[in-house]
Amino acid sequence: MTKSLVRIHALATNTFREAIRNKLLYALLGFSVVMIAAGALISTLSYVEVDEILQDMGMAAIRLFSAGIAIFVGVGLIHDEVERRTIFTILSKPVTRSEFLVGKWAGLTFTVWLQLLLMTLAFAVVSLLAGADLTLRHGVAVGLLGLELMVLVAVATLFSSFTTPMLASFYTFGIWLIGHLSRDLYLLGQQSDSDSVSRVASAIYAVLPDFEIFNKTLEAVHGLPIQGHEVGFALLYAAGYASATLILASSIFARRDLK
Amino acid sequence: MSGEGREVVRAENLVKDFRVGFGIRKRRVLSDVSFAAHEGEIFGFVGPNGAGKTTTLKVLMGLVRPTSGSASILGRNVAESEFRDQIGFLPENPYFYPFLTAREILDFYARLSGVEARGRAARVEELLALVHLESAADARLKTYSKGMLQRVGVAQALIHDPSVVFLDEPMSGLDPIGRREVREVILALRAAGKTVFMNTHILSDVEMICDRVAIIVKGAIRREGRIGDLVGSGTHDTQIVATGLPAATAGELESRHGAKLRGQGDRIEIQLSEKEVERALATVVQSGARVVSVASLRPSLEDVFMDAVRSAEEVR
Repeated sequence: MTKSLVRIHALATNTFREAIRNKLLYALLGFSVVMIAAGALISTLSYVEVDEILQDMGMAAIRLFSAGIAIFVGVGLIHDEVERRTIFTILSKPVTRSEFLVGKWAGLTFTVWLQLLLMTLAFAVVSLLAGADLTLRHGVAVGLLGLELMVLVAVATLFSSFTTPMLASFYTFGIWLIGHLSRDLYLLGQQSDSDSVSRVASAIYAVLPDFEIFNKTLEAVHGLPIQGHEVGFALLYAAGYASATLILASSIFARRDLK
Repeated sequence: MSGEGREVVRAENLVKDFRVGFGIRKRRVLSDVSFAAHEGEIFGFVGPNGAGKTTTLKVLMGLVRPTSGSASILGRNVAESEFRDQIGFLPENPYFYPFLTAREILDFYARLSGVEARGRAARVEELLALVHLESAADARLKTYSKGMLQRVGVAQALIHDPSVVFLDEPMSGLDPIGRREVREVILALRAAGKTVFMNTHILSDVEMICDRVAIIVKGAIRREGRIGDLVGSGTHDTQIVATGLPAATAGELESRHGAKLRGQGDRIEIQLSEKEVERALATVVQSGARVVSVASLRPSLEDVFMDAVRSAEEVR
């Protein structure tokens, strides 16, 4: 167990190091900071709820760009290792394919968390300069977004384990988009008169992630309460969904011939 | 070198089909691969390009699953991973993370291989010295030449002091000095009691350092054994070199002894069957010619290799 953790740690550290030495990532990060700052300008166009507009835009920019970075790096995570044949020497060591996947996932999750932290700092600076309130709710909302990104990286890792980056980016982006609508689709299905439609909607909801569990932007920006049990459930949901996705990825990846 | 220690690497009737064209058709890459490499020997796995050498090695490394048959290393099924801290692997044309330095990447592989934290830094330095990369140890690998990357590959394969080392085309991309250094490393490994399994199509390297070889052609093993046994089997021709051979004697050698003659000026090379040598020599000496040399024309490994390729073509 300890040896396994040492190997996963080595793989995660290396993935993190690779990501932070990628110049394109800094460009994305820089652009996201510009977008967050742009919220301050756009909010001045309104006479009411100026702070809320600024923070709504800022949080949206953080969500969009952090998801973009997770997808952008995640979809090539496994595919590139196979294409560049760097995986050959790694798997010739006492490293299982599951450890490899978990290490890569952990490294990228840590990278997007760091990016999230930097974007949040930019958001906090812009908010403070504009005189908008910053509360613990903002911190909780960002923390939950971190959990969403953890699940999203697991989804990207799953697709990257068996398909090309191009297809994996379509699939992962699709899952991310549907993940923010899956609860609405489920509720819509429940209102249908047809039993089969209702069952299909329930089945889809059970399989697809519900990313709205992690979305507490509205509560943070408008000062609405966030319940402790919601945060607890989001934690369990993220851990369960990410684990199940990585187990599925491992079982697919274990069967692959690495030509 | 006895080369007949316990079996360390074993392949039994390996068959591998790859799916092609949307997975509908199958292409057989390995049709029947069986061999055994023994403890403490340098085992050459030889074959032309596309013969199935690298696929066999990937099966042994657990990167590709055989369609049928089995393979084991140190008595363990190759699908397992725990025993891999006892093996080292250098892939063909290795590629490493370009954003890392040689020192960083060796540390990374040492961690993966379970090298204890206490001696890890010293082990990395030792390997950097072994492959003569101390001065470039802190340069990013993206600045390295092909030969330097090959040296990094050798170093990572040995970082955890494995007992069995698999090398896929280890001399590839190296200049003559580098090739010689790698040869010396391989010989040093054998001297230290390690087993070396070497994939290559460079026969001169094999003849120079390998104890035993298996020749693979079109996905099947065609020859396997000690080099001396492979090149020493069968009857060979003998070559007599003589000067001052009269024309009449030359004709007699051709007609009576079935000899083939060629030469320039006074120096004649006479090639004939081993059983004709004594009588032919007597004829040459009696003619007043001077015998310069007599040598047995043993087949080279190249002859054995080409014979294996030809017989594989005939089977097809």
